[in-house]
Amino acid sequence: MSRIGTGAARAPRPIGRMRATLSPVAQFRLQGSKVLAVDMTGDAVKARNGSMVAYTGQMNFKKLSGGGEGLRGMVARRLTGEQMVVMEVKGQGTCYFAERATEVNLVRLNGEALFVEADNLLCTEATLHTGTSFTGLHGAASGNGLFTTKVEGHGWAAVMSDGPAIILRVSQGMPLRVDPGAYIAHTGNLNRNFRSGAGFSTFFGEGGGEAMQIEFVGDGLVYVQPSERVTVGGDV
Amino acid sequence: MPFTKINGKMVEAQVLPGQKVFSQRGAMLAYSGQVTFTPNMAGGQGGLMSMIGRRVANEDTPLMTVEGQGRVMFGHGGHNVHVIDLAGDTLYVEADRLLAFDGTLQQSTMFMGSQGGVMGMVRGQVTGQGLFTTQLSGQGSVAVMAHGGVIELPITPQQPVHVDPQAYVAHRGQVQNKLSTALGWRDMVGRGSGEAFQLELSGHGAVYVQASEEKL
Repeated sequence: MSRIGTGAARAPRPIGRMRATLSPVAQFRLQGSKVLAVDMTGDAVKARNGSMVAYTGQMNFKKLSGGGEGLRGMVARRLTGEQMVVMEVKGQGTCYFAERATEVNLVRLNGEALFVEADNLLCTEATLHTGTSFTGLHGAASGNGLFTTKVEGHGWAAVMSDGPAIILRVSQGMPLRVDPGAYIAHTGNLNRNFRSGAGFSTFFGEGGGEAMQIEFVGDGLVYVQPSERVTVGGDV
Repeated sequence: MPFTKINGKMVEAQVLPGQKVFSQRGAMLAYSGQVTFTPNMAGGQGGLMSMIGRRVANEDTPLMTVEGQGRVMFGHGGHNVHVIDLAGDTLYVEADRLLAFDGTLQQSTMFMGSQGGVMGMVRGQVTGQGLFTTQLSGQGSVAVMAHGGVIELPITPQQPVHVDPQAYVAHRGQVQNKLSTALGWRDMVGRGSGEAFQLELSGHGAVYVQASEEKL
């Protein structure tokens, strides 16, 4: 299960120490709610291009061509338009990341997958694998695109939200519907369907502004931000 | 008279007779008591020469003098406000980030280009910070604006801090700053990581960094 940090989240101490002796592991922590601080000891993290605000120690910044998953990943990114421009940050010290004063949420992954909009992914540990997955046709209407970013493996990921995100649990028999503009990420075993709430009156310009929703069915967690991106669905 | 933070975006100042507060013109939100606001043509303290100096340096943000007795609330543009208390040390900040400051503080304009020679000149151009910056020193409080929250990072001789020029807000203490470049062939062919220029701050003091890369 994922651990979600809202305050000063940190990895469980004993695990951190054990892993540190095996291989250097980046420590993710929040400085306030809008700045992510990553302590590094020679290891690397992947972060959104240009999101560094400050660092101490020695750091190297390198842009990863096309996402770093080889030629196939690059071609996939070009085709899908889910191109999060990523840089690799490597070094010793503490690096601070922030973007447009958005809130930062820490997500701990223990082997499961996190699906997140590329625009909302701030930083991931190098041990995590990022790829692109097809979301189905709903993306076209939600303005999120047809593809989403999939983060898998063991480690920390930092997700951005416009305003503090809430985390909603979805369980069997309790589906959840989310405004496509407010959806940012989800984890767990969830099926995503695009639902139209458009009725008769929508076509006469009397819509409630909530014509489209994403429905989640299954078991998992959905991250929702208290703000809506501009979507096609939001206008009707 | 220190500023009291009401929330992340508003500060309240206690104004007493005989004590002045300078603030950015139009930044008053509300006040109680007998308070007068006088536009400050000189744009701050000092005589005519300092006024001309500021004009030349383009650090002449319109200021007003707040006098009287009462409480005044300041805020501007929905930006986050951070209060910095000075106890005899010096704060360096861009004039347009200044929301309000104590009248007891000495204000002056500093030529940044003198730090770091030619590279200092280049820095001003690259970072959009200009070649001049406002310097406040003495005993008192300063309210500084930033987009997003502000974090304070200590600078020690052993540990210099590198800051993204766009996220830099202010710094205090005995600090040398220089522009360090990590320009490589990748940047030349448009494949840069977006972190080609950094401000390297070293010495003794602290730097204030905002959680955003947007200018005010």
